[in-house]
Amino acid sequence: MEKIKPGLSDYLEFNKYRAINLMHIGRMAAKRGPFDLHRDLKRYPWLLDLLKVNSLLQRLVKGRSGNYRTAVAMVLGGVVDGVIELLEGIFYRSDHLILHEDLLPPEIFRAMGLQPWVPELLGILLPMIVPDSMQKYLDAAENEGIPPDICSLPRATIGMAMKNAFPPPLAVVSSNLPCDGGMSSYTVIAQQTKKPAYWVDVPFDFKSERALNYFAGELKAMIAWLEEHTPGKMDWDRLKEICDKRNVMAELELDIWDMIRQRPAPMAAEAVWMSHLWFFNVNPGYDTSIQLLADLKSLTEENLATGISAVSHEKYRALLWNPPTLHYVDLLVLAERTYGVSLILDSMSFNRQPFIDTSSTDSMLKSLGSIIMQGPMARHTRGPAEMNYFPDIFHMVKHFDLNMVWVAGHIGCKNTQAMSGILQEKCRDAGIPLLVIDYDLMDSRITPKEGIQEQVGNFMENIMKARRLD
Amino acid sequence: MDIDKWFSELLDEPVNELVQKAIDEGQIPIGYFCSYVPDVMLSVDGLFPVRMRAPGIAGTELADNYMSSVICSYTRSLLEFALDGRYDFLQGWVFAASCDHLRRLYDNLEYLRQPGFSRILDVPHKTGDAAITWYTGELRLLAQALADHFGCDMSADSLRTAIREHNRFSAILSHIGEHRKSDHPVMTGTEYHRLVITSSSSPKKALIPILEKIRDDLQTRAPLPPHRARLLLVGGHLDDPGYIGIIESQGGLVVGDRLCTGSYPGLMPIPETGDPIAVLAKHYLTRTSCPRMMEAFRERAEDIVSLARECRADGVVIQMMKFCDTWAVEVASFVSYIREAGLPVLHLERDYRLGGEGQLRTRIQAFIESIGK
Repeated sequence: MEKIKPGLSDYLEFNKYRAINLMHIGRMAAKRGPFDLHRDLKRYPWLLDLLKVNSLLQRLVKGRSGNYRTAVAMVLGGVVDGVIELLEGIFYRSDHLILHEDLLPPEIFRAMGLQPWVPELLGILLPMIVPDSMQKYLDAAENEGIPPDICSLPRATIGMAMKNAFPPPLAVVSSNLPCDGGMSSYTVIAQQTKKPAYWVDVPFDFKSERALNYFAGELKAMIAWLEEHTPGKMDWDRLKEICDKRNVMAELELDIWDMIRQRPAPMAAEAVWMSHLWFFNVNPGYDTSIQLLADLKSLTEENLATGISAVSHEKYRALLWNPPTLHYVDLLVLAERTYGVSLILDSMSFNRQPFIDTSSTDSMLKSLGSIIMQGPMARHTRGPAEMNYFPDIFHMVKHFDLNMVWVAGHIGCKNTQAMSGILQEKCRDAGIPLLVIDYDLMDSRITPKEGIQEQVGNFMENIMKARRLD
Repeated sequence: MDIDKWFSELLDEPVNELVQKAIDEGQIPIGYFCSYVPDVMLSVDGLFPVRMRAPGIAGTELADNYMSSVICSYTRSLLEFALDGRYDFLQGWVFAASCDHLRRLYDNLEYLRQPGFSRILDVPHKTGDAAITWYTGELRLLAQALADHFGCDMSADSLRTAIREHNRFSAILSHIGEHRKSDHPVMTGTEYHRLVITSSSSPKKALIPILEKIRDDLQTRAPLPPHRARLLLVGGHLDDPGYIGIIESQGGLVVGDRLCTGSYPGLMPIPETGDPIAVLAKHYLTRTSCPRMMEAFRERAEDIVSLARECRADGVVIQMMKFCDTWAVEVASFVSYIREAGLPVLHLERDYRLGGEGQLRTRIQAFIESIGK
């Protein structure tokens, strides 16, 4: 494999995407006009942090080159585009706005003509851009009695609700996913918004036909409830169209996953995980999502055909278990440059139910239900672990030819913490090196980035006996 | 016989004298972990239920290695006891997938130490018709599994008998508990909790004559000396009467409880007609009042306020296990709701193992003083 370093074309490419992001932002600002923009910034102070997205771009492309660099910039550009579309939704379609928990299917809300807003979204995006951006919301929740041991994502989301940081919805829809903390947070969110709320129940042992029917029934009941409490009306043809397009996205993603099985991998990190996180969870079934995944596939194919490795000096191939280290999301950039670690795939992207059967309304609901129940977070926080948790880890290690498992050991994720002992024993038995990074998902006061770097460095040098490349 | 002392001793070990006697007589002990598990189904035809406890746990070093130290200490304590072989007398256990911590305890026990019979019930997070139908299905599968494994009679008649016996037992215990609510109570909350916890961790049949005698004796018992305040105790799992003892040592008499392991709603009678499994599913799903159930915050909050008024409580003490996500988030809202209803409220976080007694005393003293008592 040829090793490449950032060159002039890489810098031009970076500036192109930086300009595109600025153009998207500028277009929205111009559309709002100075008066509304001023009011928006006052009403939603987190907009100021979102505006700094190019600082994230700069951190993510650092030291990366060629198609890999382009792919990362392109995915982030797609996210910016998607965020702006969501913002336009809250500005111009607030009469159709609902808040929904992040694991519920946006396909259904879109097909109903509703404007969805995921409260957790900002807790995921903002710390990537501005690492300490959620601390004020975490503190706000704690000041109102929410204990600091609750996962910081629902805790920050509660804090945002308490600080009235969300757009006012018509209704709130939630579920018992992904964990007790996430589920409970919606009791507070519903109280804060003072709007009608509906909860969808997801079974614990989700693989039986009985469970699938139960959950499809729950989704049907949710649709009926939304039709009663919002202007949304289910358009089944529209749902089919969205699901068909999502299937196209899934095919493209599976093609990319096939290619990254190769050693060294022609694509890695954000190009893989961030594309799944955003386009499948927020913008499924969009033409722009299909186009982006198709472009991503082309870039990957090109790298594969020309023998170019995404990560120069790929020496180690890692699986990331749990969400990425949000407040230090460029950890992977450091790991690539320092030790030649290539992040191939992560638990949030990998899933076992990619396609939707669009042959009937029932089959669509069942497939969407199955995607949710078999999806990341849902599948891994319910049971039994012997069937859902460990098999996925060891399957991914084998299937993607990985050298190591990195667990982003978010202190608030009790579902993962309680599996740590068994995972250590199983990895030891299987001869798979395991790194558990002790940190908090979005609160850098718990473990600052230097602390994360130290843990990674200790693991790579003492366990993997890796030599630094820098 | 010193009844108080005898009941205290019954709580000292998972295998107390009554449990041992029942085992010697050929009865089969089955452990259960949560109020959503219908213990009535474990009381049929030679089976008897034992609510899982870890009395006198000294530390959870082994369990922490597996579950980490940020998991609820009740589940870690149970894992520690299991790893120590303290539950080896059980021939099976039944879990409820009621919270993340219990689900993960189940996963750890499946890996580390499985009894002959192990089952986890998929408890819905709602109480509507679809959820009740689902849970009925779960209980039918449990009944079949118990019948297959132990050869016990899980027929409708057998279950109806168990329900009747359960109701008879609960009626006696409820009657005793009512004595706490009178203007001049004759029984402390500590004494009562001791009876309730013993009842859930021992064969009930052996306790009936003793409880009947206690019930009758209470009619003539002298009222307790005056206390500074009447308190309603609210929260999840609490199986150590010593905790209530500390509250009462500071002058706060616990005149009512709304605990997972307490009298309300646990002792409410079960309907004796209809398909017993469907009846049990509906009863256990709807009567158990846990913050894990979505959509029902207001009902739970109203329930606490109305129970406090019924008990003429001067204040409400909410105790919850540290790291319990569902209670932790809900309590923040409960506190505001109860205060808005005009009732003073104290929120306490605790570990499963009784500790920090001095701090608890101080908090209770301060609370009682703050309500002007």
